Amino acid sequence: MKNQNTQNNNFYDEYLSDKNKPRRLFSSAFNYFFKHSPSKKKLLAKVRDSFIKTMGVTFRVYDNNELIDREWPLDLIPRILKEKEWIEVKIGLEQRIKAINLFIHDVYHKQKFLNQNPILKSLILESPNYLKECSGVVPKNKIWANISGTDLIKDHRGKFYVLEDNLRVPSGVAYMLENRNVMKKVVTDLFNKYKVLPIDDYTSQLYTCLSNASYKNDYKKNIVILSPGVFNSAYFEHAYLAQQMGIELVESADLFLSKDNFVYMKTINGKKKVDVIYRRVNDNYLDPKVWVKDSILGVPGIVNSWKEKKVAIVNAPGSGVADDKAVYAFVPRMIEYYLGEKPKLKQVKTYLCAFEKDMKYVLENIHKLVLKPVNESGGYGILIGPQATKKELKEYKSKIISNPRNFVAQPLIKLSTTPTLINTSIQPRHIDLRPFILSGNKTFITNGGLTRVALKKGSTIVNSSQGGGSKDTWVVS
Amino acid sequence: MLSSIAEKIYWLSRYIERIENTSRLINVNSDLLLDIPHDESNDLKHLIKITGHIKDFKNENTKENVFSFLIEDENNPSSIKYSIEMAKMNSRYLLTMLPKSAWEQFNNLYTDFNNNDKKNSEDLYQIIRNSQRFFAIISDGMQRNDVFNFIKLGRFIERADMLSRIIEDQILRKETHVNKYYQNLQWSSVLKSINGYESFKTLNKQNLNQEIVLNFMIMENLFPRSIKYCVDKLGEVQKYLPKSVEIKKLTKILLDGFSKSNIFKNDNKILKQIDNFQLGLITLDKEISQRFFSY
Repeated sequence: MKNQNTQNNNFYDEYLSDKNKPRRLFSSAFNYFFKHSPSKKKLLAKVRDSFIKTMGVTFRVYDNNELIDREWPLDLIPRILKEKEWIEVKIGLEQRIKAINLFIHDVYHKQKFLNQNPILKSLILESPNYLKECSGVVPKNKIWANISGTDLIKDHRGKFYVLEDNLRVPSGVAYMLENRNVMKKVVTDLFNKYKVLPIDDYTSQLYTCLSNASYKNDYKKNIVILSPGVFNSAYFEHAYLAQQMGIELVESADLFLSKDNFVYMKTINGKKKVDVIYRRVNDNYLDPKVWVKDSILGVPGIVNSWKEKKVAIVNAPGSGVADDKAVYAFVPRMIEYYLGEKPKLKQVKTYLCAFEKDMKYVLENIHKLVLKPVNESGGYGILIGPQATKKELKEYKSKIISNPRNFVAQPLIKLSTTPTLINTSIQPRHIDLRPFILSGNKTFITNGGLTRVALKKGSTIVNSSQGGGSKDTWVVS
Repeated sequence: MLSSIAEKIYWLSRYIERIENTSRLINVNSDLLLDIPHDESNDLKHLIKITGHIKDFKNENTKENVFSFLIEDENNPSSIKYSIEMAKMNSRYLLTMLPKSAWEQFNNLYTDFNNNDKKNSEDLYQIIRNSQRFFAIISDGMQRNDVFNFIKLGRFIERADMLSRIIEDQILRKETHVNKYYQNLQWSSVLKSINGYESFKTLNKQNLNQEIVLNFMIMENLFPRSIKYCVDKLGEVQKYLPKSVEIKKLTKILLDGFSKSNIFKNDNKILKQIDNFQLGLITLDKEISQRFFSY
C-alpha cells in the first residue's frame, strides 16, 4: 500500500527515508499509526483529549481580547531520537551554556570579551537587556542563567543546529512532562515497543539546581516560585512546577522586605523568610524601585536584597543580556575564548545588521533570508523572506534601515519534518526542539525536551501562541 | 501556608458547598410544585430570597425565569453559574494545593456544568453529585493539613449559613402562603432540601411539626446538616489552626440563643435568634479574614 503525502523531498523527514519508507528505528511507531483505521485514530485522539482535559493541561491565550484557556495541543506521533545522537547534543549544550554563563559574568565585571569585540560591546551597552544595576554582583557559583532552554532544529540533512538560547524565563518544561504522562496512558502498547529514556526526574533536578543557587548553606531552604499571576500564559507551568517540587507558588503581593532587606512571605502563621526565588517575572518588572516603576508584578527593593546576597534570584537579573539574537552570533567565539574549545554544536549563520557589510548583504538578499528583531520572543516580528510579498519586504527593509541594530538575519533553514496526525491522515509537519538545561553544582540536561510542531501545512512557526502544537520526545536506546 | 492561598481555599470551599446547596434547594422545590396546587401565592420567588439577591431579580415571576436566574444568570451573585465561575477563579491558584484527583474532579464539575443545558433536574443532580464527589475526595484521601482545615472551615460556615436561611424563609412563608394542609408537605420538603428527610424519620416517627423539625435542623448532634453539627465541626477544626483565640470565642457563642426553652414554637423568638446567628457568622467570617487572610 502506498501512503499519501507523507514525504516531501525538500526536507529531512525524521521518520521516512528518501524512498518513502520508515527508517528502521521508526518503523514500529510509523506502522502503529499507519495501520490504524480512521475511527481508531479518532478514538485515540478522543482518549488523549479527555486526559488532557481532566489533567487540566492548558495554556492561556488572548483571543479577540478575551483571555481563554486552551487545552494543550499534543500530537500523538512521538518524535524519536537515538540516544547516541542525543549524547553528542548534550555535550554540545553543556559546553555552550558554560561559555554563555562565563560571558554574562564577564559582561557585569571586567568586560574582557567585549573589549576585544568593540561592535558587540557597543551593541550590548545600548541593549535593553543589559542592566547596569547588575554590575559587580556575584551569583552563587558565578552562574547567572541557572535554567535555560535552547531551541534546536534539524536541517535538510538531519543535523542539529542551535536556533536560539532562551536565558530569561524559558517555558515549556511542564508541557514536556505532561506530554509524557498523557502518551503513557494513550499509546501504552507503542511505548512498550521502545526503550524510552525517562524524563520525570526533571523537577527533583530543578529543586537541586535552585537549592544550589542559595547563599545559605544549611539544608532547610525556603524556595519559592514567583509568578506574574493567573493571567500569565505559562501559569499552568508555574503551578505545576511548584506542586511537583512541593514549594510555594507566590505572587508579588505575598512577598515583602523586612527593614534589614530580607525577603519574607506572608503565611497564616505569620512571616517566613525566603532564601531562593525562582522568578517567572521578566527582569524589567522585578523591582519597581529599580526598573519599570509601576510594576505590580515585582517586589520593591528585591534587587537590593539580591545584591546584598540576602536572597538568591534565579535566573539572575541581567542574564537576559545573552538572550539576544545579536549575542547569539558571537557564541562560537565565546566558546573558543572562555573554554579554549571548538564549538561542538553547529549554529545558524547570522548576519548582524549593525555591521555595515552584513546589512548590505541582508538588504540585497532579503528575499532569501529570515529576519528577526533582536528583542522579541514567541515568534513575533519575524519575516520569512521567501514567503513574504514584495510589499512586506519593502516595509521590512525600511524598518531595518531606520534601526539596523534591532535586526538580525539568517538563511532559511529547511526545518525537518515528522509525520503528524492531522485529523485522521498522517502528514509531514515541521518541528523544532527545546531541551532544558539546569546549571548548578552540576549540569543537567533533559532527555530530549519539548518538541514543538507547526500544525499548519508548510508553516515553520511552532509557537503555541501562534497555532503550534507539540509532541512527546522519545530518546531511545 | 500563604495567606493569599488560605483565602482562596476558604472561598473555593464555600462556593462549592453553595453550588451543591442551591442545586438541591431548586430540585426539591421543583418537586414540591408538582404536589401543591399551583397559584400565584405559591411561587418560587422565595428561593431567590433565600439566596439573598431578590432586588436584582427584575424579570416576570415565572418558574422558568426564577430557575434561570438562580442557575445560569451570570450577573446574579447568588446564581450557581456565578458561584461556579468564582470557584473556578479561585481554583486557578490552587493547582499546587489540592490533591490532583480533587483538582480533576473540580474540572469535571466545571465542564459538566458548562456542557449540560442546566434546565432539568438531572442536570442539577449532576452538579450535586459532582460537588459531593469533590468533597468525598477531600475527606477520604487528603492529608490533614492547613489546606484541609481551611476547606472544612469554609464548607461548614457556608452550610450553617444556608441552613439558617432556609429556616428563616420557611417560617416567614408559612402563614402567608399555603393552607395548613400543605404545611406538612412543606416541612418535609425543607428536610429534603437539606438531604435530611430519612435521617429525620429514623429519629422522629410522628407527624411533622415545626418544633421537632427545627429541633432536628438546628440542634441534632448526629446529622451533618444541622446547625449544631456545623458549629461543632468549626470548633473542631480550630484546634489545628494557628493561634485563633478570638475565632474560638466567636464560634463558641454562636449557638447560645438556641437553647432557650420553647424557642422553636415561637416564630418571633426563633426569627430573632436566627438573625443573631447570622450576625454571628458574619462576625466570625470577618475575624477569620482578618486573622488569616489580610495582607
